[in-house]
Amino acid sequence: MEEGAVVAEGLTKRYGDFTAVDGINLTVKRGEIYGLLGPNGAGKTTTVRMLTTLTQITSGNAWVNGYSVREEPLLVKRSIGLVPDVSNLYDELTVEENLLFAARLYNAPIERVRELIREFDLPANKKFGKLSSGFKRRTTIAAALVHRPEVLFMDEPTTALDVSSARNVRNLIRLLNKEGITVFITTHNMIDAESLPHRIGIIKEGKIIAEGKGRELKELMGKGMVVKLLVEPITSKLINEIEAYSPTFDEGFIVVTVEDVDEFLEELFDLKMRLGFKVKRISTELPTIEDVFVELTERNGCSCGGCPL
Amino acid sequence: MKILVIAEKELKEYILKPGSISWGIIFPLVFTLAFAVRFGDVDHLAPGLMSISILFGTTSFVSSSIIFERRLRTFERLLVAPVKRVEIVGAKILVGTLFGLFVGAVSFLILRLFMAYRVWNPLLLITFMFVSGTAFSGLALWVSLRVENPINAMTWLNLIRLPMIFTSGAIVSLLLFPHWFIVVGLITPMTYAVDGMRYAMLGYYDVINPIYDLLVTVLLSMLFTYLSVEELRRLY
Repeated sequence: MEEGAVVAEGLTKRYGDFTAVDGINLTVKRGEIYGLLGPNGAGKTTTVRMLTTLTQITSGNAWVNGYSVREEPLLVKRSIGLVPDVSNLYDELTVEENLLFAARLYNAPIERVRELIREFDLPANKKFGKLSSGFKRRTTIAAALVHRPEVLFMDEPTTALDVSSARNVRNLIRLLNKEGITVFITTHNMIDAESLPHRIGIIKEGKIIAEGKGRELKELMGKGMVVKLLVEPITSKLINEIEAYSPTFDEGFIVVTVEDVDEFLEELFDLKMRLGFKVKRISTELPTIEDVFVELTERNGCSCGGCPL
Repeated sequence: MKILVIAEKELKEYILKPGSISWGIIFPLVFTLAFAVRFGDVDHLAPGLMSISILFGTTSFVSSSIIFERRLRTFERLLVAPVKRVEIVGAKILVGTLFGLFVGAVSFLILRLFMAYRVWNPLLLITFMFVSGTAFSGLALWVSLRVENPINAMTWLNLIRLPMIFTSGAIVSLLLFPHWFIVVGLITPMTYAVDGMRYAMLGYYDVINPIYDLLVTVLLSMLFTYLSVEELRRLY
């Protein structure tokens, strides 16, 4: 099992009757950024918890850096870093004390702590609990790197960060990856998904339903275009008429993916004449990862949360 | 030694947490002071009051650290590091014991002002304080890991430790109760700490031979350590 930095075969986690992760197979190549994308409750965090030895595997197995998660958990732990979705260092310890503690746990040299404080521009003597959320995130990432792990797992790396801090974290992830670290991120943030991973796996209800490079995933949408419509009023009759396009809803807009824009517009104006709604705005775009995500995760049973009907 | 690294962090992080201060320091010391002032001559009461201080000191500190670590998910930092479960448990028990010894020692200094006799065997007293501390810390760790919602850990602990004040003979000697109540005393872990410390301080014991006191307390320490490691294995 030396093929990839992270390999999962039939990875499954059950809690009683509920299957959180259902036989996942995946391979993350050394040196790549892999993004596991999925809605809340899809099984992203459980997958990362299994891969990082925090949750016991029900069946199947995984290998990280060639070490079996089931049989060699201590070796796995030595070769990975984990940045969880919450910044979880110790509030009463200073930044430096937190990093020193991490270094001592991993038998890393003390000089590495000073190096990280310098590289990450961290306030060494400030207590962790007094830091802003952006600095907390940076310090948590620094703590995960203290022993120079080969694979870095990051669960929702930009959650709860402001725009500027999130951008800094994304730049940091790219930089770490350039230095040779394999990065495995989970996210439901579309900016992260669009801009960070070399390859993406989309997980839904514990199963990976699509995997590939961003471009490959977008091709799953066909050669189509995404059309966004703002119409008034949105009636059930209108929705029924465009049912064939599997519409979704995004902040008041009706979003459809069409193969032939011209044909769709003709149909739309025909509908407009018949149903009497007003078209307030209309735009066409190339599909994004978000469109792919929505298409794959919400098509069977709307979970957009923004449906006006 | 990873145990010492974790223990040092625990002391820095949790010594000033409200749970440690209120239940771990203020309650046992006020309790001790109240009894000392009320009764004056406290020689027979002293081992019981010191046991109570160690019980509340250790259990409050350990429980407080687990409550915070599970709630803030800092506990996962230890679990994802190359540290064995037994080292995590060992560190928690060690630091809880040290905290309990500190509270027990302060309690002793208060009581010493009101005692008529010198301590019969100081070394044996320290030994009993230490093994009692490890047993109580292990108990607190196991209970705190067992409860589903960590916030409820202190409530569950009080359900265990408050009755133990009575059933262990810490305040009222078990010899003053009917014979059947002694059985209740024998299944109370704290009884062995109280009885052993009484022997170490006064040179006599109430119910159990001090060799058995020491043996049972050591066995309880090992049992709770084992149960805590297993609980960690079950949880993570």
